[in-house]
Amino acid sequence: MNAVFRKLQASATQQAFVLNHALTTCRATPSIQHPVWASVNERQYKSMPTHGIGRWRYLLPKDPPKKKRDRQQMKEIVVETETTYATLNVNVSGYDMTVVEHFSQHIHNLCNRLGINVLDCYALQTKTTEVWLMQEQGTKMSVDSFLKTHNRVVQLRSLNATMCPIFLEVLLKNQPEGVQLSVQEHTELDYKTRFKGRPELEGLKAKITN
Amino acid sequence: MSSPWTLMAAVCLQRLPVISAESNPIEQQFRDMMIQMELEKSMLSDHELRLLDDAERMRRMQAGEYDSDEEEDRRDQEIVLAQDLEDSWEQKLKNFQPAARVSDSDGDPGSLQRRLSDSLLLLVARPVGREKLWMLPQTEWQRGETLRQTAERALGSLPAASGFKATFLGNTPCGVYKYKLPRAARTESSVGTKVFFFKAVLSDAGAPPATESPESSLLWVTKSELQRYVKPAYLMKVERFLLGF
Repeated sequence: MNAVFRKLQASATQQAFVLNHALTTCRATPSIQHPVWASVNERQYKSMPTHGIGRWRYLLPKDPPKKKRDRQQMKEIVVETETTYATLNVNVSGYDMTVVEHFSQHIHNLCNRLGINVLDCYALQTKTTEVWLMQEQGTKMSVDSFLKTHNRVVQLRSLNATMCPIFLEVLLKNQPEGVQLSVQEHTELDYKTRFKGRPELEGLKAKITN
Repeated sequence: MSSPWTLMAAVCLQRLPVISAESNPIEQQFRDMMIQMELEKSMLSDHELRLLDDAERMRRMQAGEYDSDEEEDRRDQEIVLAQDLEDSWEQKLKNFQPAARVSDSDGDPGSLQRRLSDSLLLLVARPVGREKLWMLPQTEWQRGETLRQTAERALGSLPAASGFKATFLGNTPCGVYKYKLPRAARTESSVGTKVFFFKAVLSDAGAPPATESPESSLLWVTKSELQRYVKPAYLMKVERFLLGF
């Protein structure tokens, strides 16, 4: 083994000497070529034979270059089979945001513990309701208040049919006051309603068709 | 081809709690402490800022400075002071009487309004052999229908429960109970019965029955009271899928 290394060293030094000699003679070529027998990204100034013994990252397969973020695509809706349901949306809504958010977090944690796959967990738009009270006394004054309805959705992937009644009962028994719970199948329309409307685009489209 | 077991489906109908459960003294103390902490850490709301503004303005008006200029901006706000609003709200709160948590019907097992903070289970009395036993409502399965439809039929066939609207929680049963007939009654084709339980939640009780039958055939019990009415072997299987206490 040592003999091999010494031979390599000897050949390395010989080649370096030759190339240096070549460089000094022809000055017209200013570009310095690296020694060909080494790979491009290897630093060979270390003369220890075991240099580079721990290198492993060059052995891994190359990752594809990181793509720029694509446009939001819809996640595939899981198809219903004989033993599982399709993609289900558990919708938690109410006026008190802390309670609604905490309950949706509780559902998410429950699913993680029970082994139910959670596809997505998002919030729908907050709807504000203005409440006007008409006073029965002489001066007909309307007192306003604003009620905000918050909506959180936990999307479940392929809920098992045996798991379903147990899961639903736990949800119903743990439902806090002032919170409405509803479980529906996920449709493409639900996905489309999450996006903002684009009135200019619709106006242009109408102009094209007209 | 046909098995010697007769198949039946039963419905485990629950009325969920109407009001929140009572809390322990520790829970009450913790809740009070959290409320106080949150109050002390919170910022002033719009209403409280308005109160402070009004108080400041009253003080300035009484001191005799800045009379006409500032009042022009705030002429519409002078009509209703925030303090008056708060007083009217306090008055409305005093006039509101909440209903009692514990009512008289708590001891009556036949009434649906008992034990508002617990979940109740429906029991019916059925003649089995020579005696009448309390059990969950069940009917026999007929060929061509799913077990869930049998359970729905079981619920609908109760005479006193005609107005009940229930939501079944799933298509799969949550428990099973099988019993073999006594040796004398066993034949080639019927060894015993297997009962599959389906969970349902009561959404609407409907109108109470007009005529009160002398033998009340419906019972609403909590899980802890179940052992008083139901046979031990049956109880062991039913308790397994009932959540809570």
